[in-house]
Amino acid sequence: MIHSLFLINCSGDIFLEKHWKSVVSQSVCDYFFEAQEKAVDVENVPPVISTPHHYLISIYRDKLFFVSVIQTEVPPLFVIEFLHRVADTFQDYFGECSEAAIKDNVVIVYELLEEMLDNGFPLATESNILKELIKPPTILRSVVNSITGSSNVGDTLPTGQLSNIPWRRAGVKYTNNEAYFDVVEEIDAIIDKSGSTVFAEIQGVIDACIKLSGMPDLSLSFMNPRLLDDVSFHPCIRFKRWESERVLSFIPPDGNFRLISYRVSSQNLVAIPVYVKHSISFKENSSCGRFDITIGPKQNMGKTIEGITVTVHMPKVVLNMNLTPTQGSYTFDPVTKVLTWDVGKITPQKLPSLKGLVNLQSGAPKPEENPSLNIQFKIQQLAISGLKVNRLDMYGEKYKPFKGVKYVTKAGKFQVRT
Amino acid sequence: MPYLGSEDVVKELKKALCNPHIQADRLRYRNVIQRVIRHMTQGLDMSGVFMEMVKASATVDIVQKKLVYLYMCTYAPLKPDLALLAINTLCKDCSDPNPMVRGLALRSMCSLRMPGVQEYIQQPILNGLRDKASYVRRVAVLGCAKMHNLHGDSEVDGALVNELYSLLRDQDPIVVVNCLRSLEEILKQEGGVVINRPIAHHLLNRMSKLDQWGQAEVLNFLLRYQPRSEEELFDILNLLDSFLKSSSPGVVMGATKLFLILAKKFPHVQTDVLMQVKGPLLAACSSESRELCFAALCHVRQILHSLPGHFSSHYKKFFCSYSEPHYIKLQKVEVLCELVNDENVQQVLEELRGYCTDVSADFAQAAIFAIGGIARTYTDQCVQILTELLGLRQEHITTVVVQTFRDLVWLCPQCTEAVCQALPGCEEHIQDSEGKQALIWLLGVHGERIPNAPYVLEDFVENVKSETFPAVKMELLTALLRLFLSRPAECQDTLGRLLHYCIEEEKDMAVRDRGLFYYRLLLAGVDEVKRILCSPKSDPSLGLLADQAERPVNSWASDFNTLVPVYGKARWATISKCRGVERHGPELPNASCATSGPLVPAENKERVQDLPDSGALMLVPNRQLTAECFEKTWLSLKVAHQQVFPWQGVVHPDTLQMALQVVNIQTIAMSRAGAQPWKAFLSAQDDTGCLFLTELLLEPENLEMQVSVKQSKARTETLHSFISVLETVIGTIGDLKS
Repeated sequence: MIHSLFLINCSGDIFLEKHWKSVVSQSVCDYFFEAQEKAVDVENVPPVISTPHHYLISIYRDKLFFVSVIQTEVPPLFVIEFLHRVADTFQDYFGECSEAAIKDNVVIVYELLEEMLDNGFPLATESNILKELIKPPTILRSVVNSITGSSNVGDTLPTGQLSNIPWRRAGVKYTNNEAYFDVVEEIDAIIDKSGSTVFAEIQGVIDACIKLSGMPDLSLSFMNPRLLDDVSFHPCIRFKRWESERVLSFIPPDGNFRLISYRVSSQNLVAIPVYVKHSISFKENSSCGRFDITIGPKQNMGKTIEGITVTVHMPKVVLNMNLTPTQGSYTFDPVTKVLTWDVGKITPQKLPSLKGLVNLQSGAPKPEENPSLNIQFKIQQLAISGLKVNRLDMYGEKYKPFKGVKYVTKAGKFQVRT
Repeated sequence: MPYLGSEDVVKELKKALCNPHIQADRLRYRNVIQRVIRHMTQGLDMSGVFMEMVKASATVDIVQKKLVYLYMCTYAPLKPDLALLAINTLCKDCSDPNPMVRGLALRSMCSLRMPGVQEYIQQPILNGLRDKASYVRRVAVLGCAKMHNLHGDSEVDGALVNELYSLLRDQDPIVVVNCLRSLEEILKQEGGVVINRPIAHHLLNRMSKLDQWGQAEVLNFLLRYQPRSEEELFDILNLLDSFLKSSSPGVVMGATKLFLILAKKFPHVQTDVLMQVKGPLLAACSSESRELCFAALCHVRQILHSLPGHFSSHYKKFFCSYSEPHYIKLQKVEVLCELVNDENVQQVLEELRGYCTDVSADFAQAAIFAIGGIARTYTDQCVQILTELLGLRQEHITTVVVQTFRDLVWLCPQCTEAVCQALPGCEEHIQDSEGKQALIWLLGVHGERIPNAPYVLEDFVENVKSETFPAVKMELLTALLRLFLSRPAECQDTLGRLLHYCIEEEKDMAVRDRGLFYYRLLLAGVDEVKRILCSPKSDPSLGLLADQAERPVNSWASDFNTLVPVYGKARWATISKCRGVERHGPELPNASCATSGPLVPAENKERVQDLPDSGALMLVPNRQLTAECFEKTWLSLKVAHQQVFPWQGVVHPDTLQMALQVVNIQTIAMSRAGAQPWKAFLSAQDDTGCLFLTELLLEPENLEMQVSVKQSKARTETLHSFISVLETVIGTIGDLKS
């Protein structure tokens, strides 16, 4: 299925390659570079490229391209998903999925790729099973290893592979039995000039961290399960139970995993926690313009909005910006024309604002369109959809586990048009 | 890079690897090996230390083993003789008590990719298949496929295949999936792994135990299974219901395809399934991964072709946000254009209007074309928006708007009036060839409604000398002549000058010929010109530009979840056609080289070689069917077609055999030259695995060749193509004799 994998950085260096079925020459990547050139912006290269003998399916993650070489017709989603899984695994192992991290750990990278794919087919991709096969590098472990000479490869076979349930290893033992759930919601929204919502939607996930001994059988119920529009499940969840009773019943994998992901899209249910007052104007026939934005809270259910960042891609004719923030700090990169304003928290008594002058290239026509504002924020202890976990029950084991649920709301693709 | 050349590094590493002090210190030894691997991955040639690395593989340290195996797999094809030495160690490791070592050794051994290794790996693989650790079985099962690839020829080991089929019942889910993968590769020539009823049911029952990759692949394999009864079919669909809600988009799409194909006779089930996957698909469309998003959007477009209203209520999902990459925006605009209905048209148009002034010219133009597409149904609103866009006086916008107008006037003649009112003034903002052509065409065809049309065209004629595009000049000629017919007084002078220029000064032949043609046409009288130039202008019923017909789900169900929706059907056909020719390309010359004796003249050979592309039939070269096998199949089949070809004289068996081989028809047996009656048995196979068995019979005294063809799968169209191939070959050879 997947013949070869090339990792390419943003400046076009192939810094890692791995072949499974047969060695495919690096020159196949020339087609990829060609497509990149055509796309003008490197990031805009289409994910599927056809060449005379192969298809190249690529993903772009953290400034790296993962380019896979495929020889036969394949389901494209399958390959894309797998490549993302590879990137996720690197992220998981090295804390970041960057060129430097991969180069530093090149030996582990090869070991991982070897276990994840054999003869071009995906094999072990569950993080908890991989971690038993190949132990992740930690500072402590590398110190210990260098003293004792022990390795970061497990010498025993992962027990998970012998259990009847493929996602859970057998004979798990913990002294503290804990089950944590993180309900994370992201708001995707487009707000138009006048402040009304063009489109809004909540993408939610429940991530779990389960450290329970034995074979626990959990069931998780919600106060308001009807909120959830489209839900997709981890393979461990019993679908029939959900259909009939709206209860999540499952034997969990060991460790971290994503239990469900869901969407809430009926617009009246999506609260928009911030508003932006803006006035951006460019004067005709003069080399300057005015820029003034203010952010304030709205429908925030009484919680503090924090971690606010505003990013604006200014038009090409903007040379520089002279602004004063009432709060936080801002930067403007004259090369990429990106304005970033790191706001921090909103205090309702004094709303943060950023205003000042914009210098334009003299002589150039004034920009057709005002830029869009991309906004990031975070609200702790709140699931903006109103979703609430009711209770968690455990069957099959005798001990009493420690349970916890955390809620957080974040901005996803949150965009304000001006 | 800190090093000057690889030689110094190799020398230094070699010394370090041989140093007994280092060898004694596990940690240092491993560090040196790691350095070798590091250099190897950076592209330095490290094959010089192969011998030392082989020695390093004899260790208890599993990491070191792994590293050495990795090294060996990379360089074994370069140093096959040395690699044979390593095999001994590998074989020993295959019976190590630690299953991880066994698996590792077996996998590395199978990946050596050097000639002659097959005989060493066969036994370890067979042992591996019966290993008690599932880790080793997984490796061994895939090893079978690797071994088969190493063999290179198409010989299939029957015992091995049976063993693999029985391993489909293995406890470990990954072993099961690997078996399918492996069988698929080994049996590629025979059409892949066979999914019969027991296997299908077994796989269905194991589905929930598989990981997401396994599920996606098994769903794909299950497409081959045809349920016997309706009841069974619905049982299967019920079982698979939950996979439509899987968290992996790959599994969802695989399940959807299976549903669509199995339920091809139940349109309501298909619609129902598409309703069910609407949620997951929309989720994928707004996924964090831009690539997933793109692939999902392509599939949404596919579905919209059959169910235009399917996503209409979710139109806001397809609004573009600023930061998305280009290819996603373009897809979204296409989707928006297709899901428009009475309720959302206002909002969608407003949104698209916003994109028209985007910084990226490409995206802006795509948005304008999209508005043009919507204009076919909602003409008035769209023409108004497009007219407003002209007011921006931007070059890249004006040119596309004018092109859209041209197509629109052709498809929806009712908007001509509005378009004509909008046109004056835009000639100042058009520079490119396409835009100019469109504007000139509009001025020519509807010039009687545009007051200043003759003067705009006159400006073009004034500047015709500096015009670089011949196509624009041609368009100008036609347009001016048309306008001359409706407004002769204003155009006569200009037309005269243009014709003079085109005939006397123009360098481009096509333009000059067009000029001469119109000149002579004018000589024949105005009525004649009118008759020819002003025949009906537009006829939407021709359907040349608009192909809006809804396509049934079944027409694309088999393309679902493949690369076809990504490329679009037409483009995919061209891509895969080139590929098909290339794939079969390298084999054809071999066949024809061997046969290119003086007997088949060059021109005939070409004619013959062209044949396989002519129809849908693609014969697979070099299928070695044994005589016994042929006889058995021949006796079991009925004659599908009988025909008589004209023939003269005696047969030259060698010539005929060679000619047939060129078109990939293999001769099984043949009478001697001059034997009476003369007989020959031929076989051929097409790319779908269908066998064509043929008997040629030449009775004495008869001037004809009797041909009987039997086919292993009854398909008339391929049969006809096959007969025509055969006819051409026999015709060609027959002609040679006469």
